[in-house]
Amino acid sequence: MKSQHKKWGALLLAITLLSALLISGCSTKGKGGGDVELKLGFYSSAQSDEKMQELIAKFQEKHPNIKIKTESSPYNQFFQKLDTQIAAESAPDVWLSDGVLVPKYAERGVLKDLTEWIQRDLKAGDYYGLEFNKDAAGKYWGVPQGIQIAVLYYNKDMFDEAQIEYPTDAWSWDDLKTAAEKLTKDTNGKYAVDPAFDKNKISQYGLTFFSITEGWMTVLKSYGGGVLNETLEQSIIDSPENKAALDWIVDGMQRELLPTPSDLKSFQSNMAPFPSKAAAMRIGIYARTIDANAAGLNYDVTLLPKGPEGKRFSPVIANSWVINKKAEGAVGEAAWEWVKFWATEDEVQKEWASLGEAVPVKKSVANSEQFLSGSPANKQAFLDSFEFAGTLDVNAVWSEWVGKFNDSINRAFEGEISVEQAMKQADQEVQKVLDEFYKK
Amino acid sequence: MGVKPLTPRIRRRRLNSDSKWGLLMVTPYIIHFIVFVLGSLLASLYFSFSHYDILNAPQWAGLANYKKLFQEPVFWKAMWNTVYFTILFVPLQTVLALILATALNQRLRGLKFFRLAHFVPVISSWTVILYVSDAIFNPRFGMANSFLLKIGLEPQKWLQDERLVIPLLVMIAVWKGIGYIMVIFLAGLQNVPSDVYEAAEIDGAGVFRKFMHITVPLISGTTFLVLILSTISTFQAFEQIYVMTGGALDASSAGGPNKSSLVLMIFLYQEGFTFLRMGYASAIAWVLFVILFILTALQVTLQKKWVHYE
Repeated sequence: MKSQHKKWGALLLAITLLSALLISGCSTKGKGGGDVELKLGFYSSAQSDEKMQELIAKFQEKHPNIKIKTESSPYNQFFQKLDTQIAAESAPDVWLSDGVLVPKYAERGVLKDLTEWIQRDLKAGDYYGLEFNKDAAGKYWGVPQGIQIAVLYYNKDMFDEAQIEYPTDAWSWDDLKTAAEKLTKDTNGKYAVDPAFDKNKISQYGLTFFSITEGWMTVLKSYGGGVLNETLEQSIIDSPENKAALDWIVDGMQRELLPTPSDLKSFQSNMAPFPSKAAAMRIGIYARTIDANAAGLNYDVTLLPKGPEGKRFSPVIANSWVINKKAEGAVGEAAWEWVKFWATEDEVQKEWASLGEAVPVKKSVANSEQFLSGSPANKQAFLDSFEFAGTLDVNAVWSEWVGKFNDSINRAFEGEISVEQAMKQADQEVQKVLDEFYKK
Repeated sequence: MGVKPLTPRIRRRRLNSDSKWGLLMVTPYIIHFIVFVLGSLLASLYFSFSHYDILNAPQWAGLANYKKLFQEPVFWKAMWNTVYFTILFVPLQTVLALILATALNQRLRGLKFFRLAHFVPVISSWTVILYVSDAIFNPRFGMANSFLLKIGLEPQKWLQDERLVIPLLVMIAVWKGIGYIMVIFLAGLQNVPSDVYEAAEIDGAGVFRKFMHITVPLISGTTFLVLILSTISTFQAFEQIYVMTGGALDASSAGGPNKSSLVLMIFLYQEGFTFLRMGYASAIAWVLFVILFILTALQVTLQKKWVHYE
């Protein structure tokens, strides 16, 4: 009798395990009649998540029939999960996309074309950067949620210590380099202009930049060069303009006025040198004001320097709300309500701007005292930069060609190969990536 | 009511058969295997013959992915890097772990402390290991460079140096993994009967001869297991290289300077998840599988020549 009990118990256990396995595989979706359930996805930090929840609560007050289900995770996980969710048709109906990833999804047919809705409901003149999500055919794929735009950051204390004038908006890249020489210091306190300067023991760099957004793209474009042509399907890397721009960079790196990519690896993060007071200037986007303020730096910002022909370029990333193509009918409309709420409501824009993460999309809010006050003093520089702003030649295979470009160009930055060699190699590799996607 | 007598009878018959019970108990595993392992395996085999960008349905492409793969210089570089890593790592870790295990198999003071000390890196995550190795090999602030400067040598770029990156990664991996292998060897060593050693001692054998002629042959079964385990794990090495060469910050830099630490798993990850070429990545996975299968089969065949079982 006893062993019988044992067997029954074991059978029960087996059945429980089995059913648990089966049940965990499928979950049921509850839907109330008449109400719309909207799945909203965004990447966030602890701080921004709280603000987002507040804004969602406000939205629900205004739209009681729309029930929002949020899905958020830190940046990397969010986008890792997103691809597989799209494949499994369980992706959010509307999600926050990094600006550089919008074409990746748009050109692969995953996003809803928002052109008609934008033209119907949004006045183009009221916003910064609606056009940053426009493709070559004139279609809009997203509405900016917040904008990252780059300026020149400088540490006032370091300029004062070296007894040189603060940067102005009249600077060229050569002016910047002249200043950088006087600001680059070794561990013995000798500046780069001093013959006793030891470039193997840098304690302070004149300038720091890294990679594409906060690095080489702005130099290439202000010298009249760039990476892709207007159709974004053809490499234009191998040009005399790019040669001049890259020579400027490589020369600066070889003299250690700015860190090479491998120098940067000595820091905990590529973004660290400026806030940790290891660099006097940086090319930085708006979000970098958070670190600089948190570090208590005495700093300010100004426009990025001009190229030899007087041309300027400020790279832009418009992080945007995009709508899933599969969100049709009432769900699609609800998704658009959310996007519209975000873009048009002054209050939302102000609340979000208070985080200091991005320049507000709505011009009236960006130009208000609320945004322009605080540190750095010259926040106006971010807004003025829109005049010569552009995207980072973003297309469907952006991350891939950027990787290939960096592979080649970083070797020139490290002094392993010549600029000409690096340009030829990058040109071929990038073109190969483009052809594979666009010439199918 | 009429059904009632029938059910227990059927159940009773099942209950009486041990093998059926066994089957029932492993059913959850079998279902798990079919759904989550076999299913995915077959799916990836299918994907490897198609163009598949995850976001859209796969399109049949025949052998295109495999053709492209074998013509891709980066693939061969990744292959070489992986083989290079394995050639350095497997013998080094095996020999060192065996020596360590032999040393820690003696009656020593503080034995438990030493065993524990060698096991700590095993249970630490790669991120922690990264911080420790960064304290040593950071080109600017690391101890290794301050030491080199002190004795009048040139500072090195360490993990940013094309020639040094794989040997360094191997060194760090041995340090992290050795405790685990040591424990396996310890278990093997404790199965060697002590009377064999005593007999050898009476015949006048020294420490070295005892080690070479008794220990090594008698634990060859364990050594064989260790070799297979380490070979497979190095071919699958991902996390260490990804974390240590900066992949967490920028996925495209995970291959190290000039792709010198791009191993097959990182190549697979980048192609599949960063660049959305899942079909191509599946082809890489299957090539990797075939290589591992052949290597293991080879080791199993060769074991007859040198592994002794009692």
